[in-house]
Amino acid sequence: MTTLTAAAPPRATPTTRLLLPGLFTVGALLAVVIASTLTAEEAVPGIPLPGPAVEYGLPIVRVLLDLAAVAVVGLSVLPKLLGFDTPDTTEPIMRRVRPLAVTAAWAWAITALLTIVFQTAELSPGAIPTLGMIADYVDSVGAGQGMLFSAACALVAAGIGLMAVRFGEKVPAELRIVVALFGLLPIPVTGHAVDSVWHDPLMISMELHVMGAAVWTGGLIAVMTYARPLLPEVLPRFSRLATVCLLLVSASGLVSGLGTMALTPGGELPGALLTTEYGLLVVTKVVLTAALVPVAAYIRFRLMRQQKTSVAVWAAAEVSIMGLAYGVAVAITRASIG
Amino acid sequence: MRRLLTVLLVACAAAWALMPGAAWAHDVLVGSDPADGARLDAAPSEVTLVFNTAVRTGYAHVNVTGPGGTSWADGSAVVRKERVSVKVRPLGAAGEYVVGYRILSSDGHPVSGKVTFTLTRPGPGAEAPATPGATPAATPTATPTGTPTGTPTAAPTGTPVPSAAGGDQAGQGAVSPTGPASTAPDLSMQAAEAAANGGAGMAVLWIGGALLVLAAGTVVALRRSTRGEDRA
Repeated sequence: MTTLTAAAPPRATPTTRLLLPGLFTVGALLAVVIASTLTAEEAVPGIPLPGPAVEYGLPIVRVLLDLAAVAVVGLSVLPKLLGFDTPDTTEPIMRRVRPLAVTAAWAWAITALLTIVFQTAELSPGAIPTLGMIADYVDSVGAGQGMLFSAACALVAAGIGLMAVRFGEKVPAELRIVVALFGLLPIPVTGHAVDSVWHDPLMISMELHVMGAAVWTGGLIAVMTYARPLLPEVLPRFSRLATVCLLLVSASGLVSGLGTMALTPGGELPGALLTTEYGLLVVTKVVLTAALVPVAAYIRFRLMRQQKTSVAVWAAAEVSIMGLAYGVAVAITRASIG
Repeated sequence: MRRLLTVLLVACAAAWALMPGAAWAHDVLVGSDPADGARLDAAPSEVTLVFNTAVRTGYAHVNVTGPGGTSWADGSAVVRKERVSVKVRPLGAAGEYVVGYRILSSDGHPVSGKVTFTLTRPGPGAEAPATPGATPAATPTATPTGTPTGTPTAAPTGTPVPSAAGGDQAGQGAVSPTGPASTAPDLSMQAAEAAANGGAGMAVLWIGGALLVLAAGTVVALRRSTRGEDRA
């Protein structure tokens, strides 16, 4: 271990290692609390609404689920980005990263199960959900089944992660990536859907959106946090992946956001963009994505060649914006369209 | 990188396969009876809300709130595909009535809102115990029955709880709405819904299948990598 660390001196101190994940978490929580406050369900006479514990608890737990999932995806993609040609330098990094992936997968599974509890509570205002109510909910509502599936995938990811801790890179990186992405698939099911022939294309567009965002964000955080010493080799690889993700995320986001609005009664475009909560959140996400483009491009075209420390600063900016976008993303799944 | 893209494609294909039928949509109110903003001479005996797609049974709440926060819904909401209706006791004083709803959209999250209508002439419920010729602008004092907080199971027509009329008219109505809606079991509806979204049994089946595939993949991958090592 010591000889290996000598080959790749760890420049990142614990504080700088917490910087990017911290910024991402804070950004996401901030955005989700603000967005949820602005889009809170309005009081309706004679109808009980859930209390603040559920009103804020549910979106916060959902954001934590997203953060954990992003961490798992990012840490699973990392070995592919590091490459397998120079195990002397990459093994010490991976040895640190593998247990973290397992921890994040456990956190993912737990937050997914907690989300089911909160979603049940949201539908039965004033009552503390019992096991029977939760079972009923999962039995009858697709969003509950989706979360259950996500939790199962997270547990499988934890299992495979444990095997990777034990057996190292003999456990194929692709397998870890596929399982993590599998767990993301049910997440769009908990959001909006439309009743139209475009239902399936829109769902797939949302799936691509969720997966692209997780790979991009998770990959960036993982690379900038754990692969600092190897940036000259790793950053170009990541940059190619990030470009694909950026295109994928923006295109699929526009298609699913605008498509969902156009196909929902009351969501007539373009007016609904500014009059409905959903539309305003779509606009917010477009703005955030637009803000990401120059930052990402600057990192890719300017800094990559010169290998300056300012990469860290720009990456911090990028990650913060991504965090905000993730927070808004959770609010958008719950905002009203019509 | 190419392998990674292949992996992404496989995941997408799986997404397609995993997706249930196109039975889910975001439900939006498209109409109601009485319509929003309607002015009625006669009190309706039932209020119906119409959504763009079939609403989930079992989680719908509808309530009718009259002037002064009095509650008039009789029993709990009944879901029939796109239509959610609730019986209304004979309305009382003239004035503005609000139909509040919170339903479970077929794509899985609650949708709430309200529809307002105005009763221009006092309904039969107003004549009951207290003040017969109530003025149209009747305030809570004119509302006859104390609003029952629970849902009366077999509510008689007319005023269900005359004894409550005396002392506690005003304050009570605002306190608590009717209890949670437990829709009368409409078995065919539930069966159709279960068929549309699979039910928990299907979810367990999917999870089990996925676990098997993953376990097999792990075994194959591990065996291959150890074999590769032996050869090396």
